[in-house]
Amino acid sequence: MNPIRAYLSAVWNILRKDLQVEWRGRQGVPVMLVFALLVVFLFNFALQLSPDLQAGLSAGLLWVSLAFASTLGLNRSVSLEQENKAMDGMLMAPVDRSAIYFGKVLSNFSFTFLVGLVLLPVFSLFYQQNMFKLMLVLVMVLGLGAYTSLGTLLAALSIQTRTRDVLLPVLLYPLALPILIAAVEASRSILAGQPVADYQSWMTFLLACNILFTAAGLMFFETILEE
Amino acid sequence: MVNNLNTMSANSTGQIVVKNLVKRYHTRPVLNKLSINVDAGALCILVGDNGVGKTTLLRILAGLVRPDSGEISIGKSGSSRESQHRRMIGYLGHQSMLYQDLNAIENLTHYARLYHLPEAEMIVSESIRSVGLEESQYQMVRTYSRGMQQRLSVARSLLHDPEVLLLDEPYTGLDKQGAQFLDKRLQSLHQQAKTIFLAAHRPHRLLSFASHVAWLKDGLIVEYSSVADILGKSDLAVYLQESA
Amino acid sequence: MTKKPKLLRFLDILCLILVPGALVLILFFTPTERVMGSVQKVFYFHVSAAWAGMLSFLLAAVAGGIYLSTRKQKWDWLSLSAIEVGLVFGLIAILSGMIWAQPIWNTWWVWDPRLTTTAIMELIYLAYFILRSSLNTPESRARLGAVYAIVSAATVPLTFFSIRLFRTIHPVVIAAGGSGGSAFNMTPRMLLAFFVSLFVFTLMLIDLVWHRSQLAELQAINQGEGG
Repeated sequence: MNPIRAYLSAVWNILRKDLQVEWRGRQGVPVMLVFALLVVFLFNFALQLSPDLQAGLSAGLLWVSLAFASTLGLNRSVSLEQENKAMDGMLMAPVDRSAIYFGKVLSNFSFTFLVGLVLLPVFSLFYQQNMFKLMLVLVMVLGLGAYTSLGTLLAALSIQTRTRDVLLPVLLYPLALPILIAAVEASRSILAGQPVADYQSWMTFLLACNILFTAAGLMFFETILEE
Repeated sequence: MVNNLNTMSANSTGQIVVKNLVKRYHTRPVLNKLSINVDAGALCILVGDNGVGKTTLLRILAGLVRPDSGEISIGKSGSSRESQHRRMIGYLGHQSMLYQDLNAIENLTHYARLYHLPEAEMIVSESIRSVGLEESQYQMVRTYSRGMQQRLSVARSLLHDPEVLLLDEPYTGLDKQGAQFLDKRLQSLHQQAKTIFLAAHRPHRLLSFASHVAWLKDGLIVEYSSVADILGKSDLAVYLQESA
Repeated sequence: MTKKPKLLRFLDILCLILVPGALVLILFFTPTERVMGSVQKVFYFHVSAAWAGMLSFLLAAVAGGIYLSTRKQKWDWLSLSAIEVGLVFGLIAILSGMIWAQPIWNTWWVWDPRLTTTAIMELIYLAYFILRSSLNTPESRARLGAVYAIVSAATVPLTFFSIRLFRTIHPVVIAAGGSGGSAFNMTPRMLLAFFVSLFVFTLMLIDLVWHRSQLAELQAINQGEGG
């Protein structure tokens, strides 16, 4: 098998395994979804949000709930590999270790993106505003892509600690702040019906974040996992 | 058995050579310039007290722990690609490396795919049958007893028909029947000239069919001897007596 | 344990002379700014502290990178020390900024890009210590700390840039220039004092990091002997 095909098939095998585990156990997506909704409700009461929410607020709310919920999925994703040291099994397999990182990023991305897709109609309903916009979905792809590529790296890091998964939010939120700012700003513009030119720079910025954090993952994932 | 898929010649190539291996934890050296040479085709028992570093040594050989210094070579000299090198090694550790939410078939299929095994389906069912788990192969691993998990772990470590087997206390959790099954399995692997390096703190059941014994003490292999010569090494003989 | 290096002793003495020297320069040599009055003099040490903080975080990332490639403990000590010292300088920058902002902006805290970036930077590097303290072996502390220091340093410019972009899209609340620089024109005397402060703070940074690094070495030796 040629190396590129072997690499891609390794990535796909790891993604497929995660999808399978999720399908069997259903311990990721449902938990994230319920948690995201809880965040929405909490904010609603805490900030006394009105149904005719401004575009800015609903965009912010969407991303905060996604950011909070994602940490649950990220933690689940790495603790799954640690439970019986299944990660060791993957590390010993004749696959490039960056393929393991990519596979995990893709599965984390798929799960959080799915949660995001479910949140869109819920938000549309709650805040009487059409959230089904192609560009918003695109922002979600870029934003969650960057967020999960950084998150997977940091989750692998925090699982090595004594406090295990407790540490992830403390590491992730401050570092992910630029991603969240960009995602919220782009979403806000889209929901306010502004032309693409107004938020194009945010999209480019998110793309750059994707590249940067994926590169960081490729560089450091193996270093993080070694003993 | 699954080995018919492997085209390696009968004379095994899985020699283990370790030179001056050092590994420290908290500045305390666990392995202190350890050297050992396990011949290809040997079934070598690694003995030593608990906490002496047997697991560390095996994990370093398996490529899971990075040594502080020292040289390791496994298999033919001449460096092939690292990932090809990993294909030669099968490792069974303390933990099962299995996913609790998947069944036996799904677990092994995952590994079969990672090793790019052709006809994965056939190899997996063959492998499950060989450890006697075909009746529970559709159950989630979560529901397995300790012994069943251990059998499946054995199957997992042998799945890709490795030339070199690193087994860390493989009898843990096995009942009498399971232990006898493992005895047989090890003997047949030994006959196929696989190199087997096996850590056991109670090595007695193995002495009847093992070829060598290595004694790890104070971060060093203090004794390496063929089983036939044990009686000539009085210290080792006494140690084995005591650990019975 | 090696004796205190001569160069370090020399640096100590230099700092002891130069820090009060710079203070004298600022207090008596520079003119009082026309609009802001004497509170403007905070600016010299404020900018210098922010500069020193940034520089030490960069230093920490570089030292972390060298650690990962050489695995020599002294680079980890350097990285750790740089972050600790950087945190202190960052805190000085924030506090002195607040002292300046109170009379000028009539509030202790504004969500100004630089202020916010500095505050987030402090949080990022506080998390570094939480990460280290929840790891068990010196080796994992060094290895994962290095990865985190590098990833963090890479995100700081992103954060700054995103907050900048965020503020420029929004109506500008605060008139041009968060601090110093563009807000007023510096006279030659001011410029001189400014550059002297920058230089002195850079020396102080090197001196403190060096000392802290030696302390880390002593601690390691002590723990090694204690078992």
